[in-house]
Order: sequence, then C-alpha cells, then structure tokens
Amino acid sequence: MKITPDYSKEFQRIVDIYEKAGGKAENLLRGDVASVIISGNKVLGLNNVRGMAMESSVEGDAVLINLKVAEGAKILYPVHLCVGALEKEGEQRIVFEIDVGAGAVVNFLSHCSFPFAYDFLHFMKAVSRLGKGARVFYEDHHFHSESGGTNVKATYSVKLDTQAHFENRFYLTTTRVGKLEVEMESNNDGEDSVAHLETKIYERADDRVEVREKLFLNAPGASGILKTSIFATDNSYANVINEAYGNAPHVRGHVECTEVVKGDRVQVGTVPVLRVQYDTCELTHEASIGRVNTKQLQTLMAKGLSEDEATELIVKGLLR
Amino acid sequence: MALVLDSISLKRNGTLIINNVTLRFERGRSHAILGNNGVGKTTIANVIMGLEGYRDHEGKIILDGEDITSLPVDERARRGLTLLWQEPARFQGLKVIEYLTLGRRLKIEPKLLEATLKLVGLNASYLEREIDESLSGGERKRIELASVILLKPKFAILDEPDSGIDLMSMDMIKNILQRLKSDGSGVIVITHREEVALLTDKAFLVCAGMVVKEGEPKEVCEYYKNLCDWCDHVNKPEEARMG
Repeated sequence: MKITPDYSKEFQRIVDIYEKAGGKAENLLRGDVASVIISGNKVLGLNNVRGMAMESSVEGDAVLINLKVAEGAKILYPVHLCVGALEKEGEQRIVFEIDVGAGAVVNFLSHCSFPFAYDFLHFMKAVSRLGKGARVFYEDHHFHSESGGTNVKATYSVKLDTQAHFENRFYLTTTRVGKLEVEMESNNDGEDSVAHLETKIYERADDRVEVREKLFLNAPGASGILKTSIFATDNSYANVINEAYGNAPHVRGHVECTEVVKGDRVQVGTVPVLRVQYDTCELTHEASIGRVNTKQLQTLMAKGLSEDEATELIVKGLLR
Repeated sequence: MALVLDSISLKRNGTLIINNVTLRFERGRSHAILGNNGVGKTTIANVIMGLEGYRDHEGKIILDGEDITSLPVDERARRGLTLLWQEPARFQGLKVIEYLTLGRRLKIEPKLLEATLKLVGLNASYLEREIDESLSGGERKRIELASVILLKPKFAILDEPDSGIDLMSMDMIKNILQRLKSDGSGVIVITHREEVALLTDKAFLVCAGMVVKEGEPKEVCEYYKNLCDWCDHVNKPEEARMG
C-alpha cells in the first residue's frame, strides 16, 4: 500500500485506532490484501489485488470508493476497509459502489472508528450489485466514542442476480452507540438468490437506535433472513422495523428481532412487516422483547454467577 | 456435612403441592427422590435450589449447619449447591467451552474438560460448538451433566438425568454418580425410574408432595413398583400411605 506522504502521521494514528478496535494493522500493509484507509474525507491509502479494481475519488465533500471484482475472481483474503475520524466535530461522507462479477467470491471486513467524536456525523452509503452466482460476505464493526456524540447514518443496499449469495453483518457491541440509523435493503432479483442481513447492537446511557431492514424477494426461489439483536440498557431507545416482501412464487423469508432490555427506563419497539403476492410464498417472523430469558439466567445463577454476570454472558453470546 | 430440608411446605393457587417435607442428604452419598410424574419431585429440586417462584415456602433449608432459606439462587450456588435442569436451556452464540468455564471464570485444565466430556459420552470437538438449536436436547443434557461435574458442588441436584438422552446406559449414569461422590459431592437424583433409583445409596418415595417412604433403594423401589405403578394416588397421599 502506498501512503500519501502528507498523511503519514494521520495514517499512523488511524492505524493505532484500528488496532485498538481489534483490526490487524499488518493486514493493511500487506501487498496481497486489498485494503483502503479513509480518515475523515481523505483516502490515506489504497491497495488492490489481482481480480479486483478499487478506485477512490472525492465528489464534493464525499469520498467515493468504486470497487469492481472481476467475473469468476476468488479474492483470497478479506478486503479490509479501515474507516475513521480523529476529529471531535465534523462530518464524514463515504459512498461505496461495489460490483461483483458473476461467479466471483469476495469477503469484506470493515472497521469504522470514531473514538473522539463529540458531535460527529458519519454518513455511509454502500450500493452493491452481485452477478450470477457471486458470493459476498460483508462484516462491519463500529467503534464509537464514549461521549455518545457519534451520529451514524448507514445505508446498505444490494441487488442480487440468479443464485447470488449475500451476507451482511453489522456489529456495534463494545462501545457507546450515540445515535445510529441503519437501513439495509436486499433486492433478490435473481432466481434462488440468498440474502442474510444481521444487526447486533449493545446500547447504553441515552443511546438511540433506528434499524430498518427490507427484504424484497422478487424472483422464484429467492430466500432471505433479516435478523436484529439488541441489548438495551439505561435510558436507551431502539426501534426496529423488519420488512419482507414475497413478490414471486416459491420464495422464503424469515424476519427475527430479539430485544433484550435491562432496567425500567429503556424504550424499545419492533414492527415486523410481511407481505406476499403468491400462495407459495413462505414468510415467517419471530420477535421477542423483554428481560433476559429467566431460564437462561437461573441456569447460570445456579452455577454461582450473579445476575449481572449471568446477563453479561448471555448477552455476549446473543451479540456475537 | 449435610443438606437438610426441615418441614418444607409450598402452596400454589391455594393448593398444598409440597406438604411438610423433611429430608436429609449427606455429602459423598447419592440419594433418589422417586415418584410418578406430577407428584412434586421437580418442585422439591427447585425449592432446594431457590429458583424464582419457589422461595415462598414454609420450613427451613439448612446446608452444613447454615440456614440458607432466605438466600437467592446464586448465593446458594456459591455455597455449593447446583442443579441439572430436566430440560437444559439453549444459549445462542455461547460456546460449550465458555459455558463449562462460565465465561472463562473457572480455570479448568483441558485434559479434565476432555475427560469429563468423555464421561458423559461426548468428545472434545464439542467444546467449540455453540449451545443453540444445532445441538439436540440429549447433547445439551450431556453438556449440562459435564458442567455439574466440573463445578464439584457440595450437593448436585440432578433432575431426571437420563431423560432425553438416547442410549444413556445405566453404566454411564452409575459412573457419573460415582464420579460426583468421589469428588465429595452429595447427589440428589430426581427420577421416576426404579433402575435409576437403584443406583443410589438411599431413596425417598414422594407422592402428592409428601414423602411416603424412605430407606434402602431396593426396599423403596419394591414398594414403588407394587403400589405406585398401578395406583392413582397423585392427589391422595393418605391412600398411598395406607398402601
């Protein structure tokens, strides 16, 4: 990876944050690992590997990353996306456009860190298109400041061709949230395409979360899962809307939302929306809101853990 | 070194479901609480453990001379009681090794973990499995048994340890009881099966929330076999007592 000389100090600081967030800095510097490092609205470094072409540009106040994976390419190591900001205040706008050719296989590992944010907006939009039989796994880990001053608006949308397989997992489980709005949308336009969208969040203090996931099953045999798990504590707020639409025959979809609450001041809610057009569509939903499951809690307490310790262990599993 | 239930009674919706039960369990010995379904065996187990909804009883529970009646479940566990649930819970995302070590709080040698899993009929590959829907009820029960053994409790309450486990031989149950006893634990086995009760050192026969007979397992099982197999004394303890 080539680092723009003017940014070498900033690169070091963002890499330090990346490591604290659990990333491996050595992977960002390896020639055989595709990666991009974005700090604020600047691209500090970018590396491509054979089979893919990633370009960056700046449009207005937004960073645009255009990524194309060649037809049939199998990208051996996950593409590392290191995104962050060192500022306390300000905005960051990033747009990812990702085209994955037919039969290609690629994984993404994204870390978004805003450790000093006091009043900072991170706006991210990812638009992906997967060709026939392509497979993509996208894992996004967020780390926000403890002040609660991080404001994230993240939108992910994907279009899937025949037999394409897409998995997106969003995690914000180890730090304060601040304010978070996540929208995920999968358009399963190809027959037998598969989508799995999952969000896991741990809320503290007065964190606010809005999650909206949509699954459009537009071709015969398409299937998908929307899954949201939230642990809400203190005065936090969460609203989850999971929508699944069966717009073609023989599609299958499942919507699941688990919101575990602790304390009497949390405000959480969930709304599942299921609509079908054909009698061969099969859409299901499962939702639960409440304290930690009593039987799980008592099982662990009968082994000597306190209620807090037992809750911590149960939630650790739930949000993994 | 004993666990004593002294005159325990418990009402539900105005009905006495545990009626003046007094029991004594010894460390290093195994005990069976035997009886048909619905007579209150699991309720007694839950009362001993102090589970939510089972603490509003009359009478006392004494562990090694200390009155633990008012203690919550985790305090009782820290004093050496533990419970094998008849139907163990699932824990999404939690690995077996995390469960057995209580989130790495217990430092257990890998060899001991593997040997304990082997004792309950599982191999070491299970340590990395998650305790979710991917495990059968029987597998979860075996993991729960391993967990109880690794805790080395003063008293282990095993609620129907063989239920839901295919092909769990009497030899395996015998070995598990022996292992717990050799670790110094007292064992309380809740069961409706004579074969299981016969593996213990002492048996109590329960009917309609009352202890109707106690003594040598063979003698109690004979009584159970001749009387309880065919009768309908679930709600008529006096008839049961009269034989």
